[in-house]
Amino acid sequence: MRFMVFVRSPIPLAALHGEALVRAGVLLDAGDLVPDACGVSGYWLIDVRDAAEAVERVKRIHLPACVVEIRQVAVV
Amino acid sequence: MGATTSVHRTIDAVWRMESAKVIAALARYTRDVGLAEEMAQDALVAALEQWPAEGVPRNPGAWLTTTAKRRAIDQIRRRENLHRKVEEIGREVKEATPDAGEGVDDEIGDDLLSLIFTACHPVLGTEARVALTLKMLGGLKTEEIARAFLVSESTVAQRIVRAKKALAEAGVPFEVPEGPELATRLASVLEVLYLIFNEGYSATGGDHWMRPELCAEALRLGRVLAELAPKEAEVHGLVALMEIQASRSRARTGPGGEPVLLLEQDRGKWDWLLIGRGLKALERAEALHQPPGPYYVQAALAACHGRARRAEDTDWQRIAALYQVLGRISPSPIVELNRAVALSMAFGPAAGLALVDEIAGEKALQGYHLLPSVRGDFLVKLGRTKEAKAEFEKAAALTRNEREKVLLLDRAAACG
Repeated sequence: MRFMVFVRSPIPLAALHGEALVRAGVLLDAGDLVPDACGVSGYWLIDVRDAAEAVERVKRIHLPACVVEIRQVAVV
Repeated sequence: MGATTSVHRTIDAVWRMESAKVIAALARYTRDVGLAEEMAQDALVAALEQWPAEGVPRNPGAWLTTTAKRRAIDQIRRRENLHRKVEEIGREVKEATPDAGEGVDDEIGDDLLSLIFTACHPVLGTEARVALTLKMLGGLKTEEIARAFLVSESTVAQRIVRAKKALAEAGVPFEVPEGPELATRLASVLEVLYLIFNEGYSATGGDHWMRPELCAEALRLGRVLAELAPKEAEVHGLVALMEIQASRSRARTGPGGEPVLLLEQDRGKWDWLLIGRGLKALERAEALHQPPGPYYVQAALAACHGRARRAEDTDWQRIAALYQVLGRISPSPIVELNRAVALSMAFGPAAGLALVDEIAGEKALQGYHLLPSVRGDFLVKLGRTKEAKAEFEKAAALTRNEREKVLLLDRAAACG
């Protein structure tokens, strides 16, 4: 299952230690979104077995003062 | 969802994520993969008992590791001749409290790599290596492995027990091999990962053409290995191959679950993200300037299809040339059969048929359903439908996959 992890943070996504997702073999894609009034934002696209694993994977990443939204990607 | 169910789902997820690291960390101290795996299982049982009541700890991976180490100490204490190891592990446990630290161990790469090499040690048979890899590295339960391979749970359990015993008896060291041994051992690891992937991608038995969970696990383990061994071109080659092949998963079956052949697939259903990842992995392999290995060449072949937005854009001459390279690296009648297909696409069915007839007597191809299937295809294109029908019927009788059998019988019926 694929999940899109939206991260809203004052720090750029690249500084958020998402490499743990790479080492775990679950990160498919990552990118920045256009900054808005709330700060810098970006996304991780991860491939994991279920929602519980998606949540646990993201919980392991130190995310200071971030708003995180995890959404499952629909399979067409 | 009840609170207990929610905790159990969390435990399942934590186990899948942490079990390999827990076993690897424990194996480093005990030097006994079998014991490490058993103690990790004990820690899981403890988590299932305690976490629903006490809550999931802040650092569940560290909790599992510490608990498993304590169990290992108890176990080792019972073996009176291992006092030195007890002291070593005891020191480690004192230094690590269950809730402290950042994850189980971010520097665990070498242990994990050692675990991969141990689980895939050539001293073990193929089935044992596959079962042990999925169990210890994939965090799959015995019942999940049994379901994936359509065998009984007790069969898988026995394979795992025997494999651990064989490792202990052979005195396999828990380490990353070096020097000339590395190439052989790495080949064994890659073979296991690709076997798991292929079992998922082209199920050899049962009613389903694919078992996606096996593909996903092999791909994930391949990506992990690529991060752990970034200077090995063949690892990137295998990852590239699996990424590109997996990209076609959604297009490989029709609405009724029937297989759809590569050239007839709706390429709009291909996963272009995975193709892009596969091409990048191929570039990483090329950048290492190592002699081409079989996985790299197979990935380059898959990339020829992956780069073609339409079937008619496929560079068949390059594919035929790559099969020739593959045939030199890994001589096999099956490679020659594939080269025949490429030749037929590049230069016409007569060219393909000539090569197929040349290799038809090969012992390895006797009983292989794709030989009559491919021959039938060439004969149809040459207008020799009567002979083609017989070939498709022969292929249908040989395949063990029910969906494929139906497809072949349909092709036979279409020959009139």
